[in-house]
Amino acid sequence: MAVISSTEDFLLADDFLRQLMSVGEVDLLVGIPSLNNATTISRAVEMIEQAFQESFPRDRVVILNVDDGSRDSTSEAFLSAMLSKNSNPWGLTSLRTIHRITTSCSNAPSQGGAFRTMLAAADLLRAKACAVISPVASNLTPACISALLYPAARENFDYVAPLYRRHRFDGLLARHLLYPMSRAIFGKGIRELHSEEFGFSCRLGSHCLNQNGWRDEAVQFSPETWMALGAISSDFRCCQTFLGQKTRPVTSSGTDIVAAVRGNVAALFSCIESQQVVWMERTGSEPVPTIGSDHDLTSEPVRVNRKRMLEMFRSGVSGLTTILETILEPGTHAEIQRIAAMDGRRVTFAAEVWVRTLYEFAAAYHHSVLNRDHLIQALVPLYRGRIYSFLLEHHDSSPEEIEADTETLCLEFEHRRPYLLEKWKARE
Amino acid sequence: MAAGGDSLWYKDAIIYQLHVRAFCDSNNDGIGDFPGLVQKLDYLQELGINALWLMPFFPSPLRDDGYDISDYTAIHQHYGSLENFKTFLNAAHDRSIRIIIELVLNHTSDQHPWFKEAQSSRENPKRNWYVWSETDTRYPEASIIFLDTETSNWAWDPISKSYYWHRFFSHQPDLNYDNPAVFDAMWDVMKFWLNIGVDGFRLDAIPFLVERDGTRCENLPETHAIVREFRRRLDEAYPNKMLLAEANLWPADVSSYFGVGDEFHMAFHFPLMPRMFMAVQLEDRKPIIEIMEQTPRIPATCQWCIFLRNHDELTLATVTDIERDYMYDEYARDTTMRLNLGIRRRLAPMVDNDRRRVQLLNVLLMSMPGTPIIYYGDEIGMGDNVYLHDRNGVRTPMQWNGGWNAGFSGADPERLYSPVISNPVYGYQAINVESQKRSPHSLLSWMKRLIEIRKSSRVFSRGSIEFLQPSNHRVLAYIRESGEEKILVVNNLSASSQAVELNLQRYKGTVPVEMASRNLFPRIGDLPYLMTMGPYQSFAFRLRRL
Repeated sequence: MAVISSTEDFLLADDFLRQLMSVGEVDLLVGIPSLNNATTISRAVEMIEQAFQESFPRDRVVILNVDDGSRDSTSEAFLSAMLSKNSNPWGLTSLRTIHRITTSCSNAPSQGGAFRTMLAAADLLRAKACAVISPVASNLTPACISALLYPAARENFDYVAPLYRRHRFDGLLARHLLYPMSRAIFGKGIRELHSEEFGFSCRLGSHCLNQNGWRDEAVQFSPETWMALGAISSDFRCCQTFLGQKTRPVTSSGTDIVAAVRGNVAALFSCIESQQVVWMERTGSEPVPTIGSDHDLTSEPVRVNRKRMLEMFRSGVSGLTTILETILEPGTHAEIQRIAAMDGRRVTFAAEVWVRTLYEFAAAYHHSVLNRDHLIQALVPLYRGRIYSFLLEHHDSSPEEIEADTETLCLEFEHRRPYLLEKWKARE
Repeated sequence: MAAGGDSLWYKDAIIYQLHVRAFCDSNNDGIGDFPGLVQKLDYLQELGINALWLMPFFPSPLRDDGYDISDYTAIHQHYGSLENFKTFLNAAHDRSIRIIIELVLNHTSDQHPWFKEAQSSRENPKRNWYVWSETDTRYPEASIIFLDTETSNWAWDPISKSYYWHRFFSHQPDLNYDNPAVFDAMWDVMKFWLNIGVDGFRLDAIPFLVERDGTRCENLPETHAIVREFRRRLDEAYPNKMLLAEANLWPADVSSYFGVGDEFHMAFHFPLMPRMFMAVQLEDRKPIIEIMEQTPRIPATCQWCIFLRNHDELTLATVTDIERDYMYDEYARDTTMRLNLGIRRRLAPMVDNDRRRVQLLNVLLMSMPGTPIIYYGDEIGMGDNVYLHDRNGVRTPMQWNGGWNAGFSGADPERLYSPVISNPVYGYQAINVESQKRSPHSLLSWMKRLIEIRKSSRVFSRGSIEFLQPSNHRVLAYIRESGEEKILVVNNLSASSQAVELNLQRYKGTVPVEMASRNLFPRIGDLPYLMTMGPYQSFAFRLRRL
């Protein structure tokens, strides 16, 4: 076993080290975290190999599968995946061997553990550019994978965030919280902070690997968001690249929202705290370069269960009164209670209230007014209220109107940034 | 010695390719000659080679470096006389060195008497010895080979006022093998040299002998029939002689020239050569493994000829577009180094004069299946001159010592057929035979030892090959095997140290004996055999039961 971090006891298995030794130095690494993905991982491997053949035929490349303890032979499916004859109609081929290696998480299975294993592998292999790919992403094409790798491999970018064509009611956590809040605080706007697909440079990978916060729950839950925030807060060169249509996961459920808010908001708040020296000095925001088309919204009709959303908002506001009193200013809390009491057809969770709420949550997180995980979970019903209000207001809005609404929210976050500073410093 | 002996001698040959003009000038006229070559046979014998392939030395206007022959049964006056050739041949045979000469069957020079007669009138008996047409549109499917020079395969003859067919330069009209008299004439040429005592022919441009409407005029069944007839007559009248085919094709295509052992004895394995360079630059065994997997089995009496560099450009005809771009970018970034579909450079400059890479490539050459060919001067790491026209940059005088004209000639430097290489890195003052002979650590001394190792076992020349598949793709390892004898060759293709685990379970219990030092390595057991290798390092082990 080998210790790869001097600060913690993070170990790589001997077998994995043997595989890394065989691969040697590489130019590009694509990682696939997996958990019971035997039926879909072959396609991901096929897309990656095609991307290597079409766009990087000369580069030294490796595909790394870090498995979280699958019981369906995902690793075997990964290793045995074959390129279909149709996938290479022009007879393109990589000049070099396309390596495939697989390992299980070194420590207790978790997203953070899998990601850390990838970073460790990338560091040991001195990969110049890396990408992480979901084993279930059915929309992923070789061009998408190339688009994630190219900016870091050839254009000296350190972090490559995806941009998608999404349904106007999809990606709401990003548009109502992660993007506007991080843009206002760190001065750079990345639309998809939380994504299953992204690229990064060896410089950023090594930087993250050497951070001390690997045991932090925020990192364990949502390492991707943590890396993205680390990139924009530490002046790494970031860009966004268009990957096309983002399909909605078929398994999307209420539980997913809780997990998404917990993981991503924890990562955001944790980063706001750890980088306070950096962001407190910043003002305004600047766009992050976009490669290819810009993001896009579509507006085909969908059914949304707003009723349940409203119920959960109301029950959360009443059930968590004591906790919310601890976190929020009395005026903000009262305003939220007033919103929750509104006629369901007239609920309006205004941008100003939403921004104030989030800044107060962030400050409370910083001051550790209560258990941080409990604090973040308390935000979930309020997020539902905000989304309910949004869906009510924009049920018939065009993508352009929705985009304008997002921009208004961003400006509201920026406008009220002094309020965050005030709350942040209140107890110091 | 050469007349008798083993009929498969060519399998065990280590061929040295040279141009008489470039090797040694005995009469100080600035041009190498046969008497000069005789003076250097001891050097070649010491080097350890046992066959010489001579580039064309026949009378010629020399518009294509002798491949435009104007008399097939004489010696170009620059190089001496027929008597000089016979003296040279006997001297070579005395040293157990066989002689392979070049023969251009496909075409002659336009100065050849046959062509002059053919163009003199349409009724001349020699008229039908060449391929004529009233238009220049026949055989449109046939490709043009010298794209940098020619625009058509037809040229206008102002004397007989018709077009003649030429697959190469327009001054090289193609012979018409549909005329039996042409075949007989060329067989007479071969008999002439066989009777003098040459041991084999390297037959140039073989795929193009016959033309047919509606085809690419390459590799036609009629061409194979002609080769078979030459071979039949050769075997009947001149046993133990050898035919070597020049056919720049993919292995599956060129293997047809072995027939069922009734066409050529040997053929060049053109696609392997660029892939050896590619594998070393890529630090990945993939290109070599891939092309060897595509190489079909050949009849037991046949053999591939393999080489690193030769008198032509490093041909990139049998690589993909992506591979060609890569080779150009890595080995010929300066576009003056490119010619036709290839790279006109010598071995040492190709690898930036990196001794370790030169050695690694030579180990591959000597240990892969096939008969190796060493191009003159590469054994001392000679450089090239890309500023000379066409392929002349790799045909400069041999560098014998640091003295006048590199010891090649006593003529005034201005009189030399080509300037000697004189730059500070590859110039004759730095790179020459005499200085390298004095050092046991020189490339020349190392090459001698390598050739010795190659000759120490027929496994290299006649054995099978099985590639091992260690997970470290920077390492190319294979087992050469013949009967009870087994040799393991391991090559680190990369510029960095590598560890590799070899699955040698089949050879459990044997002891690897390193062939250069004869040192014993640990006995092979149940576990994967771990080796650590330095940059570009190679090992050859005899696997022995001790």
